[in-house]
Amino acid sequence: MSEKVLQKANWSSFVQALADARELWFPVKDGPIYKFAPYSGDVDAGLEEYAYSSVPPKAVVLPQTETMFLYQVGDKETSLPEEKKEKVVLGARPCDARAMDIVDRVFQWDEDDPYYLENRNKTAVIGLACNEPFVNCFCTSLDGSPGSTQGLDVLMVDLGDKYYLRSVTDKGSRILGDAESALEDASGEGSQAEEIIKEAEGKIKRSIDTEGIREKLEEGWEAPLWDEVSRACLGCGACTFLCPTCHCFDIQDEVEGFDGRRCRMWDSCMFGEYTLHTSGHNPRPSRKERTRNRISHKYRYYVEKFDKIACVGCGRCITSCPVNIDILDILSRVKEEL
Amino acid sequence: MVDLETIRKKAKEIVSREDVKHLIGWRKGTFGYRVTPYWVEAPEDAEELVYSPLCNTNLATSLTLAEKLPLPKGQEPDRRKTALLVRGCDSRAVVQLLTERGVDREQVVLLGLPCRGVVDLRKLKDSYPEDNEVADAEWKEDKIVLNVSGEKKEIPREEVLDDHCLVCRYPNPVEADETLGEKVEPWAEESHPGVEELENASFDKRWDFWEKEFERCIRCYACRNACPMCYCEDCILDRLNPTWIYRSNNYSENTAFHIARAFHLVGRCVSCGACERVCPAGIPLGKINQKLVKEVREKYEFEPGTDPEGVPFQASYNPQDQEDFIL
Amino acid sequence: MSNKENPYIPHMAKVEDTWYETHGERAIKTFRVVFEDEEVKESWEHLPGQCAMIGVLGVGESMISISSSPTEGKFLRFSVMRMGKVTQALHQLEPGDSMTVRGPYGNNFPLEEWKGKKILTIGGGIGQAPLRPIVEYVRANINDYQDLTVIYGARTTNDLCFKQELEDLRECQEVSSCHLSIDIEEEGWSHFVGFVPTLLMEVNPSPENTIAITCGPPIMIKFVLENLKKLGFEDEQIYTTLENRMKCGIGKCGRCNAGPLYVCKDGPVFNYATLKQVPEAFA
Repeated sequence: MSEKVLQKANWSSFVQALADARELWFPVKDGPIYKFAPYSGDVDAGLEEYAYSSVPPKAVVLPQTETMFLYQVGDKETSLPEEKKEKVVLGARPCDARAMDIVDRVFQWDEDDPYYLENRNKTAVIGLACNEPFVNCFCTSLDGSPGSTQGLDVLMVDLGDKYYLRSVTDKGSRILGDAESALEDASGEGSQAEEIIKEAEGKIKRSIDTEGIREKLEEGWEAPLWDEVSRACLGCGACTFLCPTCHCFDIQDEVEGFDGRRCRMWDSCMFGEYTLHTSGHNPRPSRKERTRNRISHKYRYYVEKFDKIACVGCGRCITSCPVNIDILDILSRVKEEL
Repeated sequence: MVDLETIRKKAKEIVSREDVKHLIGWRKGTFGYRVTPYWVEAPEDAEELVYSPLCNTNLATSLTLAEKLPLPKGQEPDRRKTALLVRGCDSRAVVQLLTERGVDREQVVLLGLPCRGVVDLRKLKDSYPEDNEVADAEWKEDKIVLNVSGEKKEIPREEVLDDHCLVCRYPNPVEADETLGEKVEPWAEESHPGVEELENASFDKRWDFWEKEFERCIRCYACRNACPMCYCEDCILDRLNPTWIYRSNNYSENTAFHIARAFHLVGRCVSCGACERVCPAGIPLGKINQKLVKEVREKYEFEPGTDPEGVPFQASYNPQDQEDFIL
Repeated sequence: MSNKENPYIPHMAKVEDTWYETHGERAIKTFRVVFEDEEVKESWEHLPGQCAMIGVLGVGESMISISSSPTEGKFLRFSVMRMGKVTQALHQLEPGDSMTVRGPYGNNFPLEEWKGKKILTIGGGIGQAPLRPIVEYVRANINDYQDLTVIYGARTTNDLCFKQELEDLRECQEVSSCHLSIDIEEEGWSHFVGFVPTLLMEVNPSPENTIAITCGPPIMIKFVLENLKKLGFEDEQIYTTLENRMKCGIGKCGRCNAGPLYVCKDGPVFNYATLKQVPEAFA
């Protein structure tokens, strides 16, 4: 573990050093939102304004669309896409890194998923602790914290005029080594960082006691609650696409001329088409079943398989829902009514 | 305009009717400025109804989103009516649906409400960020009053209202069984926000503009689903056989999606702005829709959802229609 | 054999023979395929009940039950109903053409466990496809099992799959019985007329030391389950296979779950005692 300090005055050279060593992904303002995009040489881009990315950095390791293999229509040969580059994600929020840890289990479970794992193994994550939590943050209800290091390689804390950086993994130490010239050794900033994190923790206002939810979800399968909470649902994919732990995908063949590729793309259990059989039969025929599945997957099915809740409390599904379907509201009703 | 007690009282009356299943309105959300569509099933539920500039969903969508699942054997379908709170734009959506036979007038009860515009949350984001506490808002002349944790803030409506509302010419319901409160005088001149600016830009500029916007689209289809006019049972976007638009997220497919969406709204968009307000990527969809609205108005003198007895735009033929631009 | 480095890359398999089981808009066509790569052909192992992702490059893939038993030889059989985009493309394939195959996926019928027992299969329509490998497997190892009874029906004679094979089965001594039915009376049909659950009651199999496996349309399964209970079968003696929309086949893509069960990993074969606990399984 190494502890470093980055003076904000040295920000540009730090960024440049990271970008020289690896493909650097960075929260970029795109229209009114932030999303992670490859660094384009604009060293002025800082993290000062950035609060959180609307599209979580899962998109770096599980791109919304990913080519699995290529072929010529009519041929039997398939070829793999280009090898992935070594990447570093700068500025991921700790909850988003914890989410990657959750997604990792799915793609490592039973059989390895080569695309995800190649990406993930080649990606280092430098997390930025949250000094100010956001309105719908509830990470502390899910064993997280504004300064959680789970899933991170380096934790970075904003101390005002400088950042405190601490490597969490060997990979993290190597990353800090790459940018050594821009960094100074830390001397006591660690405790200042701890204070800031603790203070931020105290500012988190939303919470849920997750005790017993798994069991209640099982017992209350047919409860009228599901009709009520899904009624306003538009059936769009905003909650799932923007969720850092949602990882479901579709696989499609896409052909232009004779150039074919099989690719996968994010899919959403909130879409009716997701489970629709070709016969027209749909085992989840309405938004009620789909909403129940979304919640149950995170708070029951995943838990049964991996002994962990597949939610990190980032609050994106709450903030982005056009009709204010609020997972905390649903969960507290599950606790009370089921 | 209209006070909440009047609305609640009337709502109670309506849901007490034997021929009414429920009334769809809005109630307070769980945080910040959020308001959520709400189904009033029993008279006492009406106490939770709210009506404010924060009611930013088009309730006509609830009609088209209603799922028609096969009934268990022997069960009779519930033929009671659905009652709906409608403002100008909601009612225009219902009217457009009526002319398309998407909704049966006999099956809906429309309770009209005058409206002075809804807030665009994106405009509040920087100066009045959302807090955990549920805030309230009201109209006061040409201002919006936000009530956050007991503290009232008066803001000129130009600063916070949705662009569509700023130029709305139909603040009162065009169709309703009964309209409550006093009519609101339209305050806007005819205009199509954001359209002129783009029209005057060069081709390359416009191309670059939309390329950047569509590239950001995550294809969650919130715009489609929030739109009261998007109610095809078998949407071209979900179709796999044949696949008209690939599911890959890239500029090309995303553009194809947005063009398809826009084309299906020609002469149908009622300018409620719901699509743009729900977009998690902040794509200015209104600019596309308004361009279409403008074209249809100028070239065909047609305004969707304004005449309950009318014929849908695509289904009408007028020998006087301009044809100089038709190949 | 799943591709070790990359389970998503399919193997090419040559279509050796094809024939139509049924005709019409939703025709069922059977394909007998062999892997083009000798190594894959030799190392491929599957058991009755398992599925494979088969498809056509440029169109896509579908999860289809392997309807042959490994005891039949180094080939795979698939019986595919023409339904959507992929199955339409598959139906275009003729002997000499290639399809893509990856797998095998899912669990299998515990035929080892069932040794010494009486095996009863109850199928309807295309639902006989996953049951066929049981029939073939038990026939090939008939000394290990006490008895084999096949009950199978379809709407009309035109909807019956594996007709000739099933007729042949009736002649076979090792099979104690094979009972066929169609829903509606037809000229020249000498077997049972009526629904499969009714035929089941007619056959009246004893639950004693018996395993019942059923597959077919959901409505048929529902009544077969009811009738099996009436005949005194315990939940643990009853098996079925589920199908759901699938994409990856390896428990990643998320869509095939019925409640907490992933059909691609935990299934497709389920014991009724397990399935009973999962309301979504019968949705």
